[in-house]
Amino acid sequence: MIIQPFIRSLETGSVYALAALGIIIVWRTNLVMHFAQGSMGMFSATAVAFVLNRAGLPLWLSVLAGVGVAVLLGFAVDFSIIRRLKKATAVGKEIITLGLIMVFLGLAPIIFGTDPMQLPKFITSGDVQLGGASISYNALLNIIIGIVITLVLFYILQNTKIGLAVRATASSEITARLMGIPTRTVTLFSWATAGVLGMLAGVMIAPTVMVTPSFMNAVQVNALFACVLGGFQTFYGPVIGAYLIAICSNFLKLYVSSVWGEQLMYLIILAFLLFRPNGLVGKTYIKKV
Amino acid sequence: MTATIKPQKAIQAVLKNAHVQFLVFGGLLLLLPVIAESGIMKMSTLETLGFVLIYSIVSIGMNLLLGYSGLVSLGTAGFMGLGAYLAAYTVENLSLSFWVAVFAAMVIPTAIGLAVGAISLRLRNIYLAIATLCISEILMKTFEQLDWFTGGTAGKQSQYPTIFGDKLDRGGVFVVIVVVLVLIMMLTHNIVNGQMGRALHAMRSSEVAAQAMGVNLVKYKLVAFALATAYAGLGGGLYLFFLKSSYPSTWSLMLSLNVIAMVVVGGLRSIFGTVAGAVIIWGVPELVLKKLPVIGSISGLPYIFSGILIIVVIMFFPRGLKGLFDIIVDRIRRLSKKKVSAVPGKSADTTEPTEPEVQP
Repeated sequence: MIIQPFIRSLETGSVYALAALGIIIVWRTNLVMHFAQGSMGMFSATAVAFVLNRAGLPLWLSVLAGVGVAVLLGFAVDFSIIRRLKKATAVGKEIITLGLIMVFLGLAPIIFGTDPMQLPKFITSGDVQLGGASISYNALLNIIIGIVITLVLFYILQNTKIGLAVRATASSEITARLMGIPTRTVTLFSWATAGVLGMLAGVMIAPTVMVTPSFMNAVQVNALFACVLGGFQTFYGPVIGAYLIAICSNFLKLYVSSVWGEQLMYLIILAFLLFRPNGLVGKTYIKKV
Repeated sequence: MTATIKPQKAIQAVLKNAHVQFLVFGGLLLLLPVIAESGIMKMSTLETLGFVLIYSIVSIGMNLLLGYSGLVSLGTAGFMGLGAYLAAYTVENLSLSFWVAVFAAMVIPTAIGLAVGAISLRLRNIYLAIATLCISEILMKTFEQLDWFTGGTAGKQSQYPTIFGDKLDRGGVFVVIVVVLVLIMMLTHNIVNGQMGRALHAMRSSEVAAQAMGVNLVKYKLVAFALATAYAGLGGGLYLFFLKSSYPSTWSLMLSLNVIAMVVVGGLRSIFGTVAGAVIIWGVPELVLKKLPVIGSISGLPYIFSGILIIVVIMFFPRGLKGLFDIIVDRIRRLSKKKVSAVPGKSADTTEPTEPEVQP
């Protein structure tokens, strides 16, 4: 009885984790809170649905096309806006990402049409029995995708030269540039990575809902909260936060209230901030003069 | 000569007084229902302008928060919606008066805002945006689910209010909105030029320095956020009485973003700029863009319009419309100065009355 909702939580947790990873990568390398993660993911995922439904391409090819769209969007946003903002304040940058939400939400129905579309699951049928719970292959695949991508990203961040460049940029952009790290390339690819992660999150959650301009709103909110819960100082904190949020909200929905479960969890997180303001694995943030 | 200039100067001095400017502005706005009655302007235009003024009230509050303390609230729409539903519930279900409704619409959202702010403002500024985003999601769900309070997705209906025993019509509510807007402009002007304004200014240039001078950062941020929330609730209440109904879909994140766009486009820390921003962000799509031949029917167009405006303004004109206005006024001054110096024989008061006279 416990296993079934737990596995389902891991599935949604994977979606939130991917979206949250995108937000935290952009935050660490650019110091910009990426409020448009959900809407950019929505835009690329809608592109996937569009290619699939209109051009009739198979799902895997559509997802590849979506990766292309997401990378291009990420490049475009960084190249044409973010890197020209060096003088803008932190709030200014945040407001830019809020403006991006409006642009993508407005653009999606114009380019892809106003009719809601559907995205099929990767694996349409079949399930395994596990301790009295039946889990669909697709759910397992989603969980595996989430965990594998997270692990691969962590491996790259911790053990490769690219990862070192990203971590150096994250700790101090100016010092990193003085050391000869191409910080502009790092930020460029951090936006592209965030775009791809958002697109994947969208494609994974899409089969359970319709593809409309607002279908990623919940993912965006939960991913931001995963970052708050996990803390903004590490790359892995938000991933832990994402899975915790998914488990917590699923069980609250199941055992407390099916309507208000998610809202209840938001309140719990707000209360949690009272006691651990820097998140689960966050260090104390000290502002230097 | 001096006898003719002195009253002019006196008038100029009076016109420079901000409160007089607000009153004159309000007086001009009061002409609009008359113009609409006479048929020169369409009634639907008056309606759109009414919403522009309501959003002006809300964005002046947002400007207090964003312009002075650099905080972003994404819960504006939620608090506005809560204000609207509270006003409707007070008048329709509890049969209380307009005044109680407006009071409830202001006080209860502010109380919620204070609680959320107290939790999230002790940390970095960005937490307020995330916390208010979550509150607005909770409120949105409440609007959809809590049938006894909000009427669910079918919406909540109300009617024009009765004030001082007088049943108002649309034009009457417009007058009420204008009066409230002028009062809010005056109040905000006093706040930012008073002790609190000085503290906020000090915080803006350096939080650490302000703290060292004894400014309680959390307290002032919290007060700024509470004011923004109260204005939003008030705007929501007025919205209900102006439209006579409220639907959950109105109070989405996009409305909160639009309010931020009004502040950014209008110009931070400028009261008239904010009103101009509201005209651009709400009025232009409603009155101009939607009537364009081909692209007017595209539903996402207003969003793209505001989104691109936000980005362009922050990238290239960080001071918004207010900054643009200042530059233009400056240019005109300089041009007229050149004219005066080029033609020394002519007296200045005939060419340019705003030009300061050289004292004998």
